[in-house]
Order: sequence, then C-alpha cells, then structure tokens
Amino acid sequence: MKAQRNPSQTIGPFFHVGLEWKDGGRVTFAEKGQRVVLVGRIADGAGQPVGDAMVETWQLSPDGRTPAPGTGSGHPHGMGRVQTSADGSFRIETLMPGGEAPHLEVTFFARGLLRGLHTRVYLAPEERVRADPALASIARSPRLRTLVAKPAGKDEYHWEVRLQGEGETVFFAV
Amino acid sequence: MNDMTRPDANTIDPPLDFPAYQSTHLRHPKQPLVAIPARLLDVPGPTVPRGFVKSGDNDLTAQGKGLPLGERMVLTGRMLDADGRPIRRALIEVWQTNASGRYMHPGDQHDAPLDPNFPGIGRTFTDDEGRYRFLTIRPGAYPWQNHPYAWRPAHIHFSLLGNAPVQRLVTQMYFPGDPMLDLDPVFHGVPDAAARARMVCKLALDTGIEGVATGYSFDIVLGGAKSTPLGI
Repeated sequence: MKAQRNPSQTIGPFFHVGLEWKDGGRVTFAEKGQRVVLVGRIADGAGQPVGDAMVETWQLSPDGRTPAPGTGSGHPHGMGRVQTSADGSFRIETLMPGGEAPHLEVTFFARGLLRGLHTRVYLAPEERVRADPALASIARSPRLRTLVAKPAGKDEYHWEVRLQGEGETVFFAV
Repeated sequence: MNDMTRPDANTIDPPLDFPAYQSTHLRHPKQPLVAIPARLLDVPGPTVPRGFVKSGDNDLTAQGKGLPLGERMVLTGRMLDADGRPIRRALIEVWQTNASGRYMHPGDQHDAPLDPNFPGIGRTFTDDEGRYRFLTIRPGAYPWQNHPYAWRPAHIHFSLLGNAPVQRLVTQMYFPGDPMLDLDPVFHGVPDAAARARMVCKLALDTGIEGVATGYSFDIVLGGAKSTPLGI
C-alpha cells in the first residue's frame, strides 16, 4: 500500500531545547583516520549571519564505508549535529571521509526554512570534485565551487555558505 | 534518467519562498535546486545506538520534581515508509512549549510563566512494529512577530532520522479543531489540504490513561521506501 509522506515544517528558533546533542560537533567512528576540522559560516540574502541554524553532517568512514552504528549512549557514528553561533559559524571535528572526492552530506534547518536545505561540502581539490559523477549536472558550472571547502592551516577547512544572492551555495533536490 | 530526482518536483513540502512567512524572505535560495542521483541518499544510515535513549525519556511529565501543569496526554502512533511498512527502531525527538505556550529556552520572550516541572523535551525509538508512545502535556499557543496579532497554533515539534538520509524529516504536529490553524502561515505553507491534514493528530481517548490523561494518535510517513531494512 502506498502511503503519502508527511510534509516538512520549519525547525523554528527554539530547537536547541530538544535537539542539542552532547559533543554533537565531534563526529565519531569505529575506525581511526586523519583528523580534520570543518569551520563553516552561513549568511543570508542580505549577507547577515544566520545565527540560529542547525547543521547536520553525514559521511563515509575513513575507509570509505557506511559508518558502523555508534556505541554506548553516544550519538551515531559518522553523523554531526551542531547549531550556529551568533556570527553564523559552526565547527565540525571529524575524520577525513574515504572515497575519490571526500565530502560530507550537509543539511541546514532554521527558522525561515520551511524545509531543510541539503548540500555537500568537499574536502578535496576542485578538479576531483568536478569529476564526481554525483555532480554530473553541474560539472561545468562555476557554482560548483560553492561546494568546495578551502584548506586553511593544518587539517582545517573553511567553507562559506550563502543561502541566497551572490555566491549562492548549490542546494540539492532531495 | 530515472535515477535523477527532478529539481524541485516536490509538491508535498512547503515552498522555500513563502512570503506569508516573513523569515523565508532572505533565507530561500533563488537558484533552482540541483538534481542529484536519488540513490545517493536512499541508503542505510545513520544508526543511533540504543543507549542514546534512556528509560523514561518518552515521559515528558516526569522530568521535574513534581507534575507539570496542564492537560496530560498520551501521544501514540506509528512511523511508516512510503510502502506502508513500519520504520523500526528509529529515533524520534520532540520538543514543545509548556501548557502556557512558553518554551524553556532563553530566547523565548513570550511573557507567560515557565513551568519548572516541564522542560518540554522527549526522545524515543519506534518498536519493531514502528510504534511509539509519549506521555506529555498539551502545549499552548503563543504569539510571534510574523504579523500583527500573530499566534502559532499549539504544536509539538518532531525530528525524525528514519533509517536513511532520504527519510530525514523535521516537522510539526497540530491539534484537531484548532481555529488558529486557518490563520497560520507555517501550517499553510503546505499547499495541499490533504497533506496539511496529515500534520493534525486525532483524538483517541481510549489510548489515554483512564481518569488521568487524554489520548491522541499521530502516524508519521517518511519517504524512501527502498531503504527501509526488512531484517532489523
């Protein structure tokens, strides 16, 4: 029997009450790997920081597989969940995902978003990102660069996210 | 091309640009959403460890020193996939106001009393039949700044991971017969009346607790049937 899906609604401004995870910004795995830190910043169509968003990440393990289930009372392996600070920034400490073009699946939820916005951030050089078959439909677009984080010092990557306007981040239909 | 989702073919969810809800104005992407192979997100994961939810996390009335104020209610339902199969052992997180319409959150400026016995947070896993159960307080309506005399209808926020990234859903549950629903731009962001009706729970008094708590039922259907594992 086919069932009709429930619609999405905004997460609203008060989600921290229920959704804050202890150490949600420290992504865990069963395996060891190369530690990386992703520092992102989200701005709206007026260039103002989005200081009340929830950011979720999901990725392959360092050996390129679906992460094993988490253990104990911790959150799931391979998944991060943080809220942005007043300046729109967020920080995810994780391990470098496996694969040809290492990336994190990212979803933003916030007041003013009636549904989550899904995108990806790549921790890889642009030419390898352009070769990713998942991005075939935008392989030649200059907008693809919005999905590529910039290396910034040892093991750290920076990523500017723009919800609207100049430099608008690519978001995917889910 | 069956493998590709059509950009923004989604007619169930609200549009990202919805002028009646003012906060969408500067936050909606203006470029079309880009197609990505659907199979990439219709795969298992993330898996939440059983220990993440503690016994009693589904009783929102037992988190203080005494009972919270308001109408106690039992909320039960099932989580299903698009083929009507139960989504088993999946995490549900809820948060809500107290009976007076106030969140226990420093950002909530609504001048209504906090209830020290009601933080308004709950977690549970669905069972092997996709069923879940919460004991809580019926939340209150509260004013917001969207337009003059704007009030949000009473609602409970739901966060659902499902069994696959494609099933991830954040939504709200409303109450039957609430006259504020007709005036609420968040509820009416959903264009289809039948889809809006799926966000409204049903009164089911015989699922409550005799002499103690009312009963409401609310089933939740997530997308991505392919990824619902049969084995777990």
